[in-house]
Amino acid sequence: MNNRLLIINGPGLSDLSNFSEYGHDDLTLEKVQQKCLETCESLGLSLVFCQTDDEVELTNYLTSACKEFDALIINPIGYSHASLIDSDVYTSNIETITLQNKPVIEVHIANIFQKGIDITKPIKVSEGSVGFVSGFGIHSYDLAIRAVSKKLRIN
Amino acid sequence: MNIYVINGPNINLLGTREPEIYGHETLDSISKECIKLGSKDGHDVKFMQSNYEGELVEWIQDAINKKIDAIVINAAAYTHSSIAIHDALKSFPGFKIELHISNPHLRETFRHISFISPAVDAVVAGLGADGYSHVIELLADLQKSYK
Repeated sequence: MNNRLLIINGPGLSDLSNFSEYGHDDLTLEKVQQKCLETCESLGLSLVFCQTDDEVELTNYLTSACKEFDALIINPIGYSHASLIDSDVYTSNIETITLQNKPVIEVHIANIFQKGIDITKPIKVSEGSVGFVSGFGIHSYDLAIRAVSKKLRIN
Repeated sequence: MNIYVINGPNINLLGTREPEIYGHETLDSISKECIKLGSKDGHDVKFMQSNYEGELVEWIQDAINKKIDAIVINAAAYTHSSIAIHDALKSFPGFKIELHISNPHLRETFRHISFISPAVDAVVAGLGADGYSHVIELLADLQKSYK
């Protein structure tokens, strides 16, 4: 059964209170996790949902996504370009997953292109494909999970 | 809920244009699926496509005048050049979503800048033709949860 989904949340996402200024009020990571669990359950996906501020741990999660999961959804916040992590290590890990033909989707709670939230840029990988969903609040995850589920059914 | 799905240049060639990037589905089959999905929950989904920038601007203005609830826009190549579409979207008070079949950020550098992204609420890219139906489904769900 290809139904094992890993959702990784990057640095700072343990506290979502600062998203209220972008119109996403009263969000907590627990609420996001609960919603993701419900959506995954309704679609028959098994879910591991995690958050880390640590680059080594993030790399370990990405490695486990290569080996133990069928799909990855990642909210990278600044990791896709910030100096916190070696961006080559990061993109090569993402590439490895896409080259296994596993769905990878980058999600963001707010629309990262709107003024004042220039904290990140989309993931750039040279090989494989990565989907992108940004700005739906908690529902960004929902949309990404549905897209993953559809892709896994086709693959 | 009334939803406009506005498509830009060359989207009429879907199914035959570089299928390795854009897939084999035609715009006609995508629109039929989305209209069906929307009507299930009583939503009116209208699909439109034009190769002309001004026509896209006029459809957005039409959405403003008719108080349409949401716009899903795939401005295609105009994404990377059109300040006129950016301005029109800014004046639209409803929910607006930028959509792309492929992920422009993974392609040529001239596709990395979007004039549409800062003018919309949300962006969806790289989910293939399925992106359209996922967005329609989500809009229908969102409306249910806000009722």
